[in-house]
Amino acid sequence: MTQFAQQLVNGVVIGALYGLIALGYTMVYGIIQLINFAHGEVFMVGAFGGLFVWTRVIPDGTPAGIALPLVLLGAILTSVTVALIMERFAYRPLRNAPRLAPLITAIGVSLFLQELVRLYYPRCSAADTVGESIPRCGVTQGREYGALTDQQFPSLISGPNIKVGGVQIPRVSIFVVVVAILLMVALSAFVRRSRTGKAMQATAQDRDTAKLMGINTDRIIVVAFVLGAALAGVAGVMQGLQVGTVGFKMGFLAGIKAFTAAVLGGIGNIAGAVLGGFLLGIVEVMATQYAPHPFSGGAWRDVWAFVVLIVLLVFRPSGLLGERVVSRS
Amino acid sequence: MIRRFLRRTRARLHALAVPVAPYRVPVAVLGALLVVVGSWSPWATFSGFAGKMTLAYPGGARLYTLVLAAAVALAFVPLRGRRVAGEIAGLGCLGLALLTTLAIAKEGGGLVNVAWGAWVTIVGAVLLLLSLLSLPEEEGDEPARLPDGPAFGQLVGVLAILVTALVVVVEGLEIPSAGQFLAYLAFLGLLAAAAAKLGVFEWLQRAAERHRMITLTAALLAAAAFPFTQDGSNEWVRVGCSVGVFAAAAVGLNIVVGLAGLLDLGYIAFFGVGAYVGASLSGSPDSNVRLNLVFLVVIAVGAIFAAVLGVLIGAPTLRLRGDYLAIVTLGFGEIFRIAANNLDGFAGPKLTNGPNGIPRVPNLNLFGFDFGESHELFGITLGYFANYFFAELVLLAFVILAFVRLNNSRIGRAWVAIREDETAASAMGINTVNMKLLAFAIGAFLAGAAGTLNAHVTTQVSPDSYRFDESVLLLAAVVLGGMGTIGGAILGSTLLLVLPEKLRFFQEKRILVFGIALILMMRFRPEGIVPNRRRQREFHDDLSGADATSAPPGAPVVST
Amino acid sequence: MRQRRLIKLAAPVVLSALVLAACGDKKEETPGGNGGGDNKVVKIGVIAPLSGDLSALGLGIKNGVDLAIKQANDAKKIPGWTIQLADKDDTATANVGATVAAALAADEAVAGVVGTLNSSVAEQVAPVLNQSKIVMVSPANTGVKLTGRDKLPNQQRVYANYFRVATTDDVQGPFAAQYLLGTGAKKLAIIHDKKTYGQGLATAVDAEFKKGGGTVVLTDTINPGDKLFSAIVTKIVNAKPDAVYYGGEFPEAAPLSKQLHDAGFKGPLMGGDGIYSQKFIDNGGVVSDLATSVGAPTDKLPSAQAFVEAYSKAGYKEPYEAYGAYAYDAANVIIEALSKALVGKDKVDAAVRQAVIDETQKVSISGVTGQVAFDPFGDTTTKVLTVYGVDASKKWVAKKTDTFK
Repeated sequence: MTQFAQQLVNGVVIGALYGLIALGYTMVYGIIQLINFAHGEVFMVGAFGGLFVWTRVIPDGTPAGIALPLVLLGAILTSVTVALIMERFAYRPLRNAPRLAPLITAIGVSLFLQELVRLYYPRCSAADTVGESIPRCGVTQGREYGALTDQQFPSLISGPNIKVGGVQIPRVSIFVVVVAILLMVALSAFVRRSRTGKAMQATAQDRDTAKLMGINTDRIIVVAFVLGAALAGVAGVMQGLQVGTVGFKMGFLAGIKAFTAAVLGGIGNIAGAVLGGFLLGIVEVMATQYAPHPFSGGAWRDVWAFVVLIVLLVFRPSGLLGERVVSRS
Repeated sequence: MIRRFLRRTRARLHALAVPVAPYRVPVAVLGALLVVVGSWSPWATFSGFAGKMTLAYPGGARLYTLVLAAAVALAFVPLRGRRVAGEIAGLGCLGLALLTTLAIAKEGGGLVNVAWGAWVTIVGAVLLLLSLLSLPEEEGDEPARLPDGPAFGQLVGVLAILVTALVVVVEGLEIPSAGQFLAYLAFLGLLAAAAAKLGVFEWLQRAAERHRMITLTAALLAAAAFPFTQDGSNEWVRVGCSVGVFAAAAVGLNIVVGLAGLLDLGYIAFFGVGAYVGASLSGSPDSNVRLNLVFLVVIAVGAIFAAVLGVLIGAPTLRLRGDYLAIVTLGFGEIFRIAANNLDGFAGPKLTNGPNGIPRVPNLNLFGFDFGESHELFGITLGYFANYFFAELVLLAFVILAFVRLNNSRIGRAWVAIREDETAASAMGINTVNMKLLAFAIGAFLAGAAGTLNAHVTTQVSPDSYRFDESVLLLAAVVLGGMGTIGGAILGSTLLLVLPEKLRFFQEKRILVFGIALILMMRFRPEGIVPNRRRQREFHDDLSGADATSAPPGAPVVST
Repeated sequence: MRQRRLIKLAAPVVLSALVLAACGDKKEETPGGNGGGDNKVVKIGVIAPLSGDLSALGLGIKNGVDLAIKQANDAKKIPGWTIQLADKDDTATANVGATVAAALAADEAVAGVVGTLNSSVAEQVAPVLNQSKIVMVSPANTGVKLTGRDKLPNQQRVYANYFRVATTDDVQGPFAAQYLLGTGAKKLAIIHDKKTYGQGLATAVDAEFKKGGGTVVLTDTINPGDKLFSAIVTKIVNAKPDAVYYGGEFPEAAPLSKQLHDAGFKGPLMGGDGIYSQKFIDNGGVVSDLATSVGAPTDKLPSAQAFVEAYSKAGYKEPYEAYGAYAYDAANVIIEALSKALVGKDKVDAAVRQAVIDETQKVSISGVTGQVAFDPFGDTTTKVLTVYGVDASKKWVAKKTDTFK
């Protein structure tokens, strides 16, 4: 029972991250029906933005309480800037092109951002020498296409795990879940209450009519990209805090998982993205622990995640909370 | 924004050239003379630059400028679009000359090292360009529409372009330095752009469509001639093998994506299924299936197995629309890769050897013909990869045939209808789910066949070869080349596989450049290099007016 | 008016051209061709990733070979012949590797190849080179199956031309298991990343640990690229092992160690040379974590220090990295074989290439990484290994060096 509770907690923590990133997919998709495959890269760039603030901007010895908000701010600024540039120069010119064109553009943007970050990795130096043996710098053994090493991320939230009846909860995880839920609630309120939020809903329902009602739809689309990017930036820092490293390839996997979460919950639906994120996290963790042998453990985990997705889509073709798709073609 | 800037710059240049107008012809003749003299003279004061730079006869970049200067004559052909064609050639001539000069200066360590030939050429190119720019603006800078002409003439045209393509490829591959290769690419691109402005390609496309079977046969023969130009070396034939298999898979994917409009992000899995079947039944000592069948049977088994899987995956999920299908296929692709990685006796039944894959797939042996041996034909030695290259051409021919026959059938039209508007298609009585399933199964079938053959070319299969990236690369080949066209898929595959080999120049920044290229390509030519004519009109509204004569009116413009 | 604009435009252009011209030096003509006069040329190829993620390792390999060739030429190791380097970039991709291998095979002067870095690339390169009877000596492939020694009981050599100076996975694994048993560990959890290298190590550790009387309480895998291991960590902690063995590389191993110890695990995490890197410690490895690596520490081998000195004197831009020394040894093996096979020959032909393979089989030289000789499968006979541990100063220190039996 303790084990189950522990794994449930693990799943919720992983799911919170998926949910945060999934929101970016779902908002953009809801408004312009574009799968922004480069969103995972926005998440990655955000993490590096935060790291940059920590290593280059803040003086050494800044207390974590001050550093953390600054790092978060740096991450948000970076990912929002990248998203703005991406929207303006890569996606907007393709607004009326068929679906596949922006998809290829997204792949191009992904490759570009990954490589850009990789090229600015610090080079090898004598400090990377290992012990007294033959020196080697931050490269894996390269047995089978290893990647360049990840960069160290500061652990700004430390301290012993909190124990609740035998279940161990790291302090970082509590922070991650609380912040994620707060952000999700805030976003949901923003979309439902504020003027801009209502304009977003209108644009999502019918872009042309929204335009006729005097809504600047171009601006609304930018708002969707910005909000999604800000959340992804926060998620990037959270991943860094939990894992202790960030790498230029981290966006790919996270992007696919978050996209899956968004579809699971019903793409285009904000509550659905959050729900999908938590569900996906829990499914993954439970599959690792409880799936029947020999299809158990980490090796088959992603298969279980995708099987759940496919089965769900077969019975609910628009995801958990998605409305029936109205053909707008 | 960029277009407006270009237009303004062009207007300014025209204004600049107005004083030249009265002396247009003498200036042009003088310019041409200078380019000819310049390109036959030394450009650099040192030897060894870009191969043939100081020799007396034009080679390399000097040849390119010379040919481009000659192409300026296009501006005087009485055809619509001639002025733009001439301008492209003239600008290209000047640009290449300038770039080469800069390269010489950089290589030599200063402009001192640039010999007089280069300067003469540059002056000549400037004069040519000035005389061109002084031509009066005329109506209709759009591409011309050439008359079809007699069937015989069309055939000659098609054959000529195929032979040219073969020569261009062979020549290009022999260029040793990346810099010169880039110059070569630019040269080809400029020539092609100038020709396109005169409507040459549109004419060729029409000609090729009218004589489809002859064109296809001739194209395959031209490709088959390639190994004979390689003098027994395997290097580029090996690349050709990768291209062949990749192109076959890309044409198959084009049926799914280009014709039926189903976004498949896990297509490589079907290719992988074929490869695993091929490796398992090949008699490799590492195979877990103790069966060694004749290859023709194996390839059928591989293809059918992939098709069955396609149906199994497709049946429950093809009811989903567009983007949902994308994630499901992505998921399936991942499931295949993970399963192949796991079925090794530790985390599942022992079938695929897990991450080790199945190595040591033996060479093919068909009717006593050993594919692992070099052969001599017409006195020319062919490396053993040439055998596989020919086998792939046969496979490619089969795939293309399937594509063409399907495209022009009831089924093909049904697919296009579904792609354009599923609801309307279903209202017209098309069983959309069955039709989509058929597209999925046929795509999987062809990919499986290609994969089976590929297992023998690469002599091993392992799960890492079937990652999501590979699906993306295939998709990029289809979209870059042009959706819904055979030539596009093949050209896209060739570019995606050959360019990286040739562009070692960029080394570390190769992938970065590739990413930028994808973005720019989609920005300026979303319909691909060889566009489906109907799709091209969807993307460029401005073309529809010019093409109105050739297109049936009211072709639907779709915006999803 | 217009003319004046033209001048405005032209003036800076002409000016800058003049400046450029003034700055430039006249390039001197250098006499082309081979400076050595009538020397015959034999080439040693290199196939390694020279661009991309793994270029640091690949360039180290190339430089190691280059150094060996320079030294051999200076010492006139093969009288009448000059050795040249022919390096090819495989971008760590199997397909590209096969292509460049075909290119080297087409060059008639090539009589041997040092490469590849990745085992997966070697699988496609070896058959292509074997077809042309070109010897291939890998400085880095550790995948056991490449030589065929693993196919018990019917061991069978796969490619006659394939040799390697790197020690294989199946040696590191048992060595680690014996060490862990020696420290008193009884219960072991084995985690790997489901890649050839990681799973190979894990399987070998599993067998040896059980043979030595220990119990393996948990075997599981993680996915490369994953960084949040909470689910696996919970499983491990609940299984209560004395130690954890991780088969894989440090980008995953470091966060795994961190998260494992955060969750209250007290024992060591051990791995192969894939985690033997300073970055493992920087990114999350903790004190008492262990790693095995091939060969003895450099300061205990005088030959290695001579290599380090010669390398830094040669002034290469890139460090020699993990495999530079092995590549140096591999090149010397080929040079040694060439010096026998080329006696009395005019040019490299099929017979010479075959002779080089035969001579390579017989080579026994004292190299940087120890004595270099090959068993009938083409595997190195040297099996010196070292266990390293993370000490309190956050550095790897050697714990035990031994020859594996």
